[in-house]
Amino acid sequence: MDFNPCMKHQLIRKTVQEFAENEIRHRAAEMDKGPGFPEDLIKKMKPLHYFGLQTPTHLGGAGLDTISYAIVVEEISRVSAALGLCITVHNSVGIYPILRFGTREQQQQFVPPMAAGDSIGAFCLTEANAGSDAGGVETVARKTDHGFILNGTKIFVTNGGICSTILVFAVSETDPAQSSVFIVENHTPGFSVGEIEDLCGMRANPVASLFFEDCAIPADHCLGTIGQGLKIGLSALDTGRIGIAAQALGIARAAFDESVSYAKARQQFKQPISRFQTIQNYLADMAVQIDASQLLLYRAAARKDSGRPFSAEAAMAKLHCSTTAGMVTNLAVQIHGGYGYSREYDVERYFRDAKVTEIYEGTSEIQRMVIARDILTRPT
Amino acid sequence: MLHIIVCIKQVPMVSELPWDAKTGTLKRETAQGMMDPSARRALEAALQIKAGMGKNQASITAVSMGPPMAEEILYEAKALGADQGVLLTDPRMAGADTCMTAFILGKFITDHCPDAGLILCGAMSSDSETAQVGPQLAEELDIPAIGYARRLELVHDCIRVERHVDDFMELMEMDLPGLVTIDHADESDLYTPRYVPLGGVEAAFNAGDIRIMDGTALGLNKDFNALTSSPTKIIDVYSPVTRKENRVLTGAVKKMVDTLFDDYGKIISSAMGKDLKTHDHEGDV
Repeated sequence: MDFNPCMKHQLIRKTVQEFAENEIRHRAAEMDKGPGFPEDLIKKMKPLHYFGLQTPTHLGGAGLDTISYAIVVEEISRVSAALGLCITVHNSVGIYPILRFGTREQQQQFVPPMAAGDSIGAFCLTEANAGSDAGGVETVARKTDHGFILNGTKIFVTNGGICSTILVFAVSETDPAQSSVFIVENHTPGFSVGEIEDLCGMRANPVASLFFEDCAIPADHCLGTIGQGLKIGLSALDTGRIGIAAQALGIARAAFDESVSYAKARQQFKQPISRFQTIQNYLADMAVQIDASQLLLYRAAARKDSGRPFSAEAAMAKLHCSTTAGMVTNLAVQIHGGYGYSREYDVERYFRDAKVTEIYEGTSEIQRMVIARDILTRPT
Repeated sequence: MLHIIVCIKQVPMVSELPWDAKTGTLKRETAQGMMDPSARRALEAALQIKAGMGKNQASITAVSMGPPMAEEILYEAKALGADQGVLLTDPRMAGADTCMTAFILGKFITDHCPDAGLILCGAMSSDSETAQVGPQLAEELDIPAIGYARRLELVHDCIRVERHVDDFMELMEMDLPGLVTIDHADESDLYTPRYVPLGGVEAAFNAGDIRIMDGTALGLNKDFNALTSSPTKIIDVYSPVTRKENRVLTGAVKKMVDTLFDDYGKIISSAMGKDLKTHDHEGDV
């Protein structure tokens, strides 16, 4: 077993770190006042392939493996989790399902502008009455002679305010048990974006509700085949979970690094607080959980790269990384004391950003269900 | 077809350098490496020259002498757009001073890149700042050299070089083959290195291995040893000692100000970048 990253993955990490430190770090706090990302920053990221991480080169992407993809999301999220969110959602649940389930024509039509960053992707499943239970989806697709007509409202859509290629999970008007995924472009009549959500964290990301009112789309905009909705959704989420795990790990590492330097610098009782055993215990606990997160995440990514099933591994990584992000950012604020509760310190932002990693792309409770299902269906 | 050779060096990323007290050299294997910023500017210059020429009119070879881990910066160079990467590595090359480094690089270029037209180096590396390897390499190859260039332009069979010397600009032309070292950042920043595209990294690793050459492949003598052959030796490496001293000035204000300017005037004026006339205030009293 080799726990050392190979030279390629090391170079990918350094490459992203250089960009993140030079171009993103100094504006992350300002971006947090959001919503939206600075145009010039996005413009710089486009030719560097941040919007086509795992997209094959013939469709304009970088053709990275999953380990590299996770490294990119981790390192971007280490400086701005909200931008990391934009990248991971766009790449994993935006582009990936089209690559995996789309026809050749759909791939040729939709993927190149997405990979170039000219069209941002979003995936919408969640509704007012459907979250963990995808069976509650009320957005309907009515079959017509020319295609489909969509009606419904999606909420908490990541990238909602900036997306132009949207994957919509909807059920058949005649058979609510039959679900499909449709590709909707933002210029489609009947499509509109609601207010940007006023959220606790990830504030730079324009998370919004999306409305579909008699939204007519051509027949060839159904992704895969009719009735494949749940399969596509679950597959997208499996992949998405690796991204969210990487994002959570990035946040945890950022909070940890701040905590270590603060603990060394902050003087109380005439000594740095890092001399106190309580603080040392906190740092040790944080380090162990971060390390474990890293191992789980990169194992899941490596499994996906090797073509083996990775659903349970991705769920384990997502569960552990997000729990770790919550625990580490909480302790980071504690170590910083009153300063940690102030917007002047980055750990306050990390603390707010971390929470949602335990909620979206399947809550921690849903991850446990996925893991348990895997355990209980294993041959004995 | 212009063959551009860019000499690049891996330098430690950290500012606190781990030194080997015995040999007086850097323990490169324990430090996180990166491409020397000045060498990266030289590569940027090469990429811009190549982009300004027609398709297949120029080819870039990035070469580095260093430990095996320096392979990484050659992949990085390829990710940025270099056509070939070559690593000259051998335990017998370890401990080379600038003279031996130039000798080894020169041997590679003479024997393996006889068509080399333009050789680019960073003016000086961030870790040792000698600015010697470039000029010494030109001596090894017996070709002309210009140091501290800020702008390059190919004009027919020669290269036009702009460089900043003291308070004036110098514009020169040099026949090729020749060697140019690229100055560090300035206001015009023509050669600010581009960021590495992620797809470039993937492509660089898919495109095959970096060519690795040891002393034998390079045709060095069997008993060649860079450390013992190096005419210069680092005797000692240490951080300069700084002392902090508090001093309380007492007495009348005029006396205190006089003492302050007498004893510290030079330091204050150099920090301000202005000449201070220390006793001008006397007439005011």
